[in-house]
Amino acid sequence: MGIELDVKSFDDALKILSKNYKIFAPVRLKGKGAFSDTDLVTYGEISSYKDIELNEKSRYSPKEVIYPITQTLFYFTEDEYKEPEIDDKGIIVFLRPCDANSYLKLDNIFLKNGPYEDNYYKRLRDKVKFFIIECTKGFSTCFCVSTGSNKFLDYDVFVRFDNDKITCDVKNDEFSYAFSGKEVEFIPEFIEKNEIEVKLPDIDKISQNLEYVFNHELWDEYTKRCIACGRCTVSCPTCSCFSMQDIFYKDNPKCGERRRVWASCMVDGFTDVAGGHSYRQKYGERMRFKVMHKIYDYKKRFGTTMCVGCGRCDDVCPEYISFIKIVSKVTDAVDRGESK
Amino acid sequence: MTNVYMPIKAEIVSIIPQTDIDYTFRLKSDILPQHGQFLQVSIPKIGEAPISISDYTDEYIELTIRKVGTVTDAIHELKPGDFLFIRGPYGHGFPVEDFKNKNVVIAAGGTGLAPVKSIINRYNRNPKEIKKLNILVGFKSPKDILFEDEIKKWKEKFDVLLTVDNGDETWKGNTGLITKFIPDLKIENSDDTIVIVVGPPMMMKFACLEFLKRGILEENIWVSFERKMSCGIGKCGHCKINETYVCLEGPVFNYTKSKQLLD
Amino acid sequence: MILDIDTKLLKKNAYRVTKQRGITALRIRVPGGDLNIKYLDIIKEIAEKYGNGTVHITTRQGFEIPGISMEKIDEINELISPIIRGLKDEGVQIEDEEGGYPAAGTRNVSACIGNRVCPFANYDTTVLALKIEKLIYPNDYHVKIAVTGCPNDCIKAHMQDIGIIGQVEPIYDPSRCIGCQACVKNCKRRVTGALTFENFKVVRDPNRCIGCGECILKCPTSAWTRDEKYYRIVIMGRTGKKNPRLAQTFIEWADEESVLKIIKNMYDFIDKYIDKTLDKEHVGYIVDREGFKKFKEEVLKDVKLPKKAKVANHIDYTGYRYERNTIYD
Repeated sequence: MGIELDVKSFDDALKILSKNYKIFAPVRLKGKGAFSDTDLVTYGEISSYKDIELNEKSRYSPKEVIYPITQTLFYFTEDEYKEPEIDDKGIIVFLRPCDANSYLKLDNIFLKNGPYEDNYYKRLRDKVKFFIIECTKGFSTCFCVSTGSNKFLDYDVFVRFDNDKITCDVKNDEFSYAFSGKEVEFIPEFIEKNEIEVKLPDIDKISQNLEYVFNHELWDEYTKRCIACGRCTVSCPTCSCFSMQDIFYKDNPKCGERRRVWASCMVDGFTDVAGGHSYRQKYGERMRFKVMHKIYDYKKRFGTTMCVGCGRCDDVCPEYISFIKIVSKVTDAVDRGESK
Repeated sequence: MTNVYMPIKAEIVSIIPQTDIDYTFRLKSDILPQHGQFLQVSIPKIGEAPISISDYTDEYIELTIRKVGTVTDAIHELKPGDFLFIRGPYGHGFPVEDFKNKNVVIAAGGTGLAPVKSIINRYNRNPKEIKKLNILVGFKSPKDILFEDEIKKWKEKFDVLLTVDNGDETWKGNTGLITKFIPDLKIENSDDTIVIVVGPPMMMKFACLEFLKRGILEENIWVSFERKMSCGIGKCGHCKINETYVCLEGPVFNYTKSKQLLD
Repeated sequence: MILDIDTKLLKKNAYRVTKQRGITALRIRVPGGDLNIKYLDIIKEIAEKYGNGTVHITTRQGFEIPGISMEKIDEINELISPIIRGLKDEGVQIEDEEGGYPAAGTRNVSACIGNRVCPFANYDTTVLALKIEKLIYPNDYHVKIAVTGCPNDCIKAHMQDIGIIGQVEPIYDPSRCIGCQACVKNCKRRVTGALTFENFKVVRDPNRCIGCGECILKCPTSAWTRDEKYYRIVIMGRTGKKNPRLAQTFIEWADEESVLKIIKNMYDFIDKYIDKTLDKEHVGYIVDREGFKKFKEEVLKDVKLPKKAKVANHIDYTGYRYERNTIYD
């Protein structure tokens, strides 16, 4: 069963929820696009239905809600380390199934990789309530069905936005108090077919032909085409790498902070070791490293494909490099390589 | 919630200059690491860096740190009585239990000697643990030689071959890359000999190949990788090589694994 | 055949005295270089029926139709009336739509393609060109104005009496910066090196920043975003046989309203100080004679510049003189 609301009662629900939760959704920032007189669609806090941008894919993913670009780990006063406080409120995120699945991918890195849980990630992640935006058509570069990220069933609330009619499946009883409206028959739907279908490579075949795939000439093209700007990785909802930075305040050098900031395997400096050596200097090698992480080695480690098929990397590449195309090339190469 | 990034304060007990740019810092600490593990070492407001543990007892640990960047530059400014901040130990070290009663060859290039020094000193204290130890150490030039006093001590008990890439007018010892000396190394029972190779990437690659030529089994060769690391605990992604996190599965790898780490 | 033609009126009507007796050429104004495709049919018809079957694209982005008999001017003026009406519909003050162009002194306002197409442009140059056209046309004073989207200055605003160059104030959100330094490296290599990297974040020197917006374009995370639109006004650039020179900055960080008012005021300045004994006098030579200070006072009358605006205190035109600057072997 679902609850049908009009805009006003939906806004009332948001108002009630906002007492205990910060509410995030895709929003349109007027004039904030890189090109003049264009907008930026990204994740931001909302307070009403009209704030939510439903017609365009957000350039940046909702990962920054739980994993901010810059996150202070410690404040230093003299030689003391102090952990920053965080907001008491919970976090509600309106997001599509692909992006909801991306949170599970980040969980693998931050909570399950290695012997320790990342406490900074966990303390935000534990607050998250999933409000799924029903997505049955997707956008022109989406391929979530191919990556198996088109469904997300473990939601708190599922929302269908049909113009001004909003239907919600409130699965988590904790939220039923906020939604009042007509009870209606409601079966949440998920996209079953994207415009784009991508065949992912068989990871066992890659394992058996690792050197063949790694040294394949298909990567060479990207040494020439890629500019190593990192846009694909910052827009990716599953990229999780970071660097640590220590700073002291200019006006008070005795105090400072240690923070972590997103890093990109595509950008210079990612592998620099003390003394000047670095690895993967060719951009094609970086491309290979990134692509293989998304479709091969992460899956080998965690049993699930990292890429959620949101297509943002294709959308944002200034050099028109298509990740989707690369994946197809890898699959082709692997299939052909095996038959050799 | 435990803060896995929270370091602990460790007092610097002494500082022993090894070369102009390599100092050994002895820190008061009861951390008992595995040989070859590393620590994340930091100075608040300056930064954090992964540093391998060059030696330890139950009262102190030693870190031999080369001055090569912002953090290590600042560490070199410190004096005994000052503090370093450490977390760890992290990663997997050398499985010394499996080396018992075997011939061991340790080949180390430059600062690569630091992560294996504690193993050598372990055998120095307890030579009966293994059958025989060969040590092969190489440095760029005589002025780059690390742990000179210790190397002298090791010579009393073990076969030690010290070489420099380029000598000077006062240098009377061996010259040339480590790899040059591997073919003539006395190795008995090559299929039962453990080889540890640590040093710059090229040195490790070619030294391993030389040892393989000598009949050392792949599974008996151990190496240690140096990679950029920000977290040391499998989150930051910098040290990843394909599906392998050097900070988690390494920095010490068996050759059967390391040869698959394509970059 | 008797040809008794007032050449002054002919020129004012946007026709030209050519080297061939009795043959003229018509210049079609294309404000901002942006023309509705429907007018091409008219231009084509004139060129085919009255001209020599060719059309010349002028340096100021107009169309010049050569090979027209002077006798046919009235007919042609009637033919181009839809183009003139088009200008009128956009708000340009034209009384007689059937009489051809009412003035030719103030040249076509040219513009680069602007932000409708170009990623570098900081504003819609076509819109601004048209706003200026409405403000200054028809007018007989010989004035050249061009507007360009960014300091790349593809339209060569630096060769105009008034050049308008788009600026943007970049806003930096340090929390979104991943320290890739794409902006810093680019600014150093391609612009003025206004950005430096300190404490893992970017510091912008507002005195060196020319507001080109490249940092915004290079930023992968939108740590740099756009704020208000601004304009740099460069003045009194020129070619010509006397003293060619690049225009120099009069004001930077001006807003659109000020830009328009300053242009309007410049016409009053010309009116007041032009040497009326001459056939024509370019505004640059008037400023040279009367002085920059006087010009500045006159054109800034009733102009409310934004707080951020910076006005040149003095302009040191070096320029170039054919007879003095070249030393021959």
